Amino acid sequence: MQTSFTAEQLLDPHVAESEKILRRCVHCGFCTATCPTYVTLGNELDSPRGRIYLIKDMLENGRPADAEVVTHIDRCLSCLACTTTCPSGVDYMHLVDHARVHIEKTYRRPLADRLIRNLLAAVLPYPARFRAALGLAKLGRPFAPLLKRVPALKPLGAMLELAPKSAAKASAGPATHPPQAERRGRVAILTGCAQPVLDPRINEATIRLLTRLGIEVVAPSGEGCCGALVHHMGREEQALDHARHNVDVWLREVERGGLDAIIITASGCGTTIKDYGHMLRLDPAYAEKAAKVSTLAKDITEYLSTLDLPRLEPQGLTVAYHSACSMQHGQKITMQPKNLLKAAGFGVRDPAEGHLCCGSAGTYNILQSEISEQLKARKVKNIEATKADVIATGNIGCITQISTGTAMPILHTVELLDWAYGGPKPGKLKDR
Amino acid sequence: MTLIPTSEVDAAYIIRTAASGGKKLAPCGGSTRAGFGNSTEPAEKMSSRGLSGIVDYEPAEMVMTVKAGTPLLEVEAALAANRQMMSFEPMDHRGIMGTTGEPTIGGVFAGNISGPRRFVGGAARDSLLGIRFVNGKGELIRAGGRVMKNVTGLDLVKLLAGSHGTLGFLTEVTFRVLPMPQTVETVVISGLDDAEAARAMAAAMALPVEVSGAAHLPASVKGRFIGGGLPEGEATVLRLEGLSASVAVRADKLADAMAAFGPVSRIAMDESQALWREIRDVHPYADGTRKPLWRVSVAPSVGHQLVAALRLEAGIDAFYDWQGGLVWMRMEADPEAELLRRYIKALGGGHATLMRAPDAVQASTPAFEPQPDAVALLSVRVKQALDPAGIFSPGKMGGNF
Amino acid sequence: MSETIQFLPPRQAVLSRRTAIIADLADLLPPDCLVHEPRELVPFETDAFVAYRRVPLAVVLPRTTAEVAAVMKYCHRYGVPVVPRGAGTSLSGGAIPQEDAVVLGLSKMSRILEVDYANRTATVQAGVTNLSISETVGADGFFYAPDPSSQLACTIGGNIGMNSGGAHCLKYGVTTNNLLGVKMVLVDGTVIELGGKHLDAAGYDLLGLVCGSEGQLGIVTEATVRLIAKPEGARPVLFGFDTSEEAGSCVADVIGSGIIPVAIEFMDKPAIEICEAFAHAGYPLDVGALLIVEVEGSEAEMDAMLKEIVEIAGRHGVKTVRESQSAMEAALIWKGRKSAFGATGRIADYICMDGTVPLGKLSYVLKKTSEITDSFGLRVANVFHAGDGNMHPLILFNANDPEDAAKAEAAGNEILKLCVDAGGCLTGEHGVGIEKRDLMRHQYSEADLAQQMAVRAAFDEGWILNPSKVFPLEGRPTT
Repeated sequence: MQTSFTAEQLLDPHVAESEKILRRCVHCGFCTATCPTYVTLGNELDSPRGRIYLIKDMLENGRPADAEVVTHIDRCLSCLACTTTCPSGVDYMHLVDHARVHIEKTYRRPLADRLIRNLLAAVLPYPARFRAALGLAKLGRPFAPLLKRVPALKPLGAMLELAPKSAAKASAGPATHPPQAERRGRVAILTGCAQPVLDPRINEATIRLLTRLGIEVVAPSGEGCCGALVHHMGREEQALDHARHNVDVWLREVERGGLDAIIITASGCGTTIKDYGHMLRLDPAYAEKAAKVSTLAKDITEYLSTLDLPRLEPQGLTVAYHSACSMQHGQKITMQPKNLLKAAGFGVRDPAEGHLCCGSAGTYNILQSEISEQLKARKVKNIEATKADVIATGNIGCITQISTGTAMPILHTVELLDWAYGGPKPGKLKDR
Repeated sequence: MTLIPTSEVDAAYIIRTAASGGKKLAPCGGSTRAGFGNSTEPAEKMSSRGLSGIVDYEPAEMVMTVKAGTPLLEVEAALAANRQMMSFEPMDHRGIMGTTGEPTIGGVFAGNISGPRRFVGGAARDSLLGIRFVNGKGELIRAGGRVMKNVTGLDLVKLLAGSHGTLGFLTEVTFRVLPMPQTVETVVISGLDDAEAARAMAAAMALPVEVSGAAHLPASVKGRFIGGGLPEGEATVLRLEGLSASVAVRADKLADAMAAFGPVSRIAMDESQALWREIRDVHPYADGTRKPLWRVSVAPSVGHQLVAALRLEAGIDAFYDWQGGLVWMRMEADPEAELLRRYIKALGGGHATLMRAPDAVQASTPAFEPQPDAVALLSVRVKQALDPAGIFSPGKMGGNF
Repeated sequence: MSETIQFLPPRQAVLSRRTAIIADLADLLPPDCLVHEPRELVPFETDAFVAYRRVPLAVVLPRTTAEVAAVMKYCHRYGVPVVPRGAGTSLSGGAIPQEDAVVLGLSKMSRILEVDYANRTATVQAGVTNLSISETVGADGFFYAPDPSSQLACTIGGNIGMNSGGAHCLKYGVTTNNLLGVKMVLVDGTVIELGGKHLDAAGYDLLGLVCGSEGQLGIVTEATVRLIAKPEGARPVLFGFDTSEEAGSCVADVIGSGIIPVAIEFMDKPAIEICEAFAHAGYPLDVGALLIVEVEGSEAEMDAMLKEIVEIAGRHGVKTVRESQSAMEAALIWKGRKSAFGATGRIADYICMDGTVPLGKLSYVLKKTSEITDSFGLRVANVFHAGDGNMHPLILFNANDPEDAAKAEAAGNEILKLCVDAGGCLTGEHGVGIEKRDLMRHQYSEADLAQQMAVRAAFDEGWILNPSKVFPLEGRPTT
């Protein structure tokens, strides 16, 4: 597509990068078809092609963001289904990232919006604060329907509804988990921020499974949030601080005992950590280190696929596999989780419209609760149509989102694998 | 007297003269559908017979260009020599109309005349790629072309096809042809009533066996096909065509599936060809009478319901082609046009065309399905765009067009 | 940007009433169905033919036929031009607006209304995507046949507007051959229905006329289309040749032999490389030209047909023959082919031609095409429907270089004239749009065009429906 930037504008490396991305787009429109917000709202402005055009217009004219542009960019889930679809290879992710930063820098949001975003950015990435907040949420839950009726307070209502009815007990802190069999490798595990608060059993299952397989698992001390949550809100500096911090923690661990991989059990985080190399490319002190971390980052299913797990007898349980957007579109991991489940003896079913987002998308279900609800309903309908016994997925956001819409049990893929390969039966399946 | 131009220039001259002189013309080919259509203002017949001959035929490209007045026979012979055919199987109206003469290729396209394969392979209009015609102002117009895919400009080709000479005088047609199938076989299910037959045909069409003809011949007509050679009971007939090896496999598959509906038998190639030709030409009603004969097009699943409903109120005989969607209906006495059209509407829509009737009846019965006002108005305006002076068979297809 | 194609001058009477028109439209539609903020209008300024752009006056996104009718009635009354838009995937600029126009987008009308297996029909709203019909009925053993490469995104309404084709049209025909009926809003807001689940027209074939009329005769809001039982099996096979000429003559021989595959697709070397880079379909990279030939039916049937095709290909010096071994491989082969245009965006900007030529002229036209692009110093990639002679030379250029863009346009015009002169036509399936409008005189005489325009005017006397398209601006009937 033709672009018109001045030479001066192109001196800004962010603009230069966006220009390169825009030049690839041929405006064919294929992306509209797989965009969850376009299929829901039917307006091109809420499609990748529309957003690309809005961003192009804004950047070319060197304009601050305005309310209209912000509306349509905010509605983007960053699910990246468009990137999977795009034949031209348009790097939408980095374009929309740039737009979000531009918005954050040039646009003053209405007060209520600012408050809720500040609240989310200050709480979610920090487990202790998040746990405390969930305690408060329990008290606030009865007010959720009331809040949702006031437009400016809708996100608050959505947040209260999403909060689990009982906060999980605190998960184990930094530690080294020695292998339980002949030692085959050493990995670090991302403890994460929101996930251990919402569901610590996921990492517990991961550690059990890996150590049984002869892997030493380190949960390094000092690890923090990967930065994805604030990154998607356009809060670049905060996101980069998170990234630098983790890069330091993990590289220290590499020096200490070598690392075969940094294991991530939330695909949303995985997408961001694999992008550290890009995010910090302009920081001379970190560019190289971040790139190294990005190559070490592996989704748990990616890593398990390299370990040649034995094939088990079919055991009669069918699993509807929900591929998180960050998994299938962000990291292009599509077959490994399903192959692992099949090898472990589970029947695997693919729900229809598997490319569509469930509406979770980080803080999307809080900030854009109406669209999120519609997407959740569509997703649940497709999943329930598979008539499977259980849902498996690889992202805590999806687990939280989908579980509020269906009675079907939903587990992380690794919890099923841990069980199949000798771990305890997951609690959610106890009565099955 | 019939005007018979021998060149496009001639034709244009005749038409220009007529237009300026306020004279009406009735374009025709071999007049094998003489008497069909609404009565028009007095008009002089203008036949394309004088424009005859194959202009261009590239068997390897499956395309033929022919002057409009070329006898159908000649076209079919040229195609057969290359083992090709017109996939839409144009019917021969002489039997039911009691006419003589030679059908022309122009007449086939002007009437959009198609046979049993139409419901899967398309109508005459679907094979027509390009035309040359003289409009009502006496201008020679070219539309379409000679390639299969062409969306350049408005599709006047489709518009002229089936316009029965009311929009222009066709001088040349270019159409797509297909290879003749290596073999033909017919699977017959016997003893089904009309409703069961509709279900059986729908089931057959849902199978991956490429049925290319699906007709139901009730007891009243069955005996008149292939010299009474069809098996006992009503006959639901399903045609398969193609490579011999493939037809054999598909016929087995189809016969197996159809056994659930009734006793199944098969008819081999020669008899199959005869059978489908007779279905195409509406053989049972080529009866030498003028009893009102309707050609009704409805959704396949409702053809039999229409017949059942009418049977309670009128004397009719009928059989079905196109999976039940084409109903040939012969009335014992009155054409019952209003009744018929009311039921068609009630059953989801479609259209009935009166092919023949005693003269007095014909004069008072619209031959074509009357259209809703807004559509009729559009038709009038389209007619005006092509024939502003209204010289081509005005009123033949209804109202002012 | 060098603009050699003119738009109609905007109607000042409309522009000067902009505020009032938007206020009136706001009365007719809910707020989320009207776009009028200047910045929000920019993304609607073009479709997939990005060389030309005009920001419209407003965009309406109605949800019902009644809303479409209300908008049309209003625009007709005040002489406001209306440009219909499906998914905006037109390669000929069919949905490019103009400054005084209301874009009428059908994207909110995207429901499948009825699937009727007994009659093998589907009735859908115009904004339904082509592919979603086949996806909906696929599990029950049916499909909708026309398959334009953009079928993932393009809408049935747009397909009807352009009479879209696709790879599998060789056997099953294009949109017009698979369309049974429409509900449509006329220029004055009148709602009519043409056709239905029955076959053929009761009077004039207005349905045939509307199909391919590029949104100039009315707004189609619903369509009834024909479903077909899926074949037992389908197998795409890759045939690699050293030269385009060999591949081209092989196509003509296959068709001439009386075998009609479901599809015969052609790719030359640049196209093979582009598509393979995106789809990883296993296209051979050591050949000069590739044919994808698909046969379908039972195993025995496919084997028999392939045997004959392989034999014919052998006579034309085929270098590699590779059959797809699984459904996944077959899907990849088609994904590569169908993404060809978009994937070309990875290496350059392009304009895509769409002329059709008689099969016997394929090799000649291919050769001439590269001579033309060479003479302009441009590169070309060829990927197209060979079985029906529908060519798609992709002329590669740099859109940020005005001189290059002008050269590409000029080369394109020459290629299209070449197609017409070879006995073919300007456009096989993409439509005339704005791109080929001024070349219409090369294919048609003044009288031919005047006749088409008179018929068009019978539907829209005031020329408000997509008025800058299809017909050259000079010589239109005045009102």
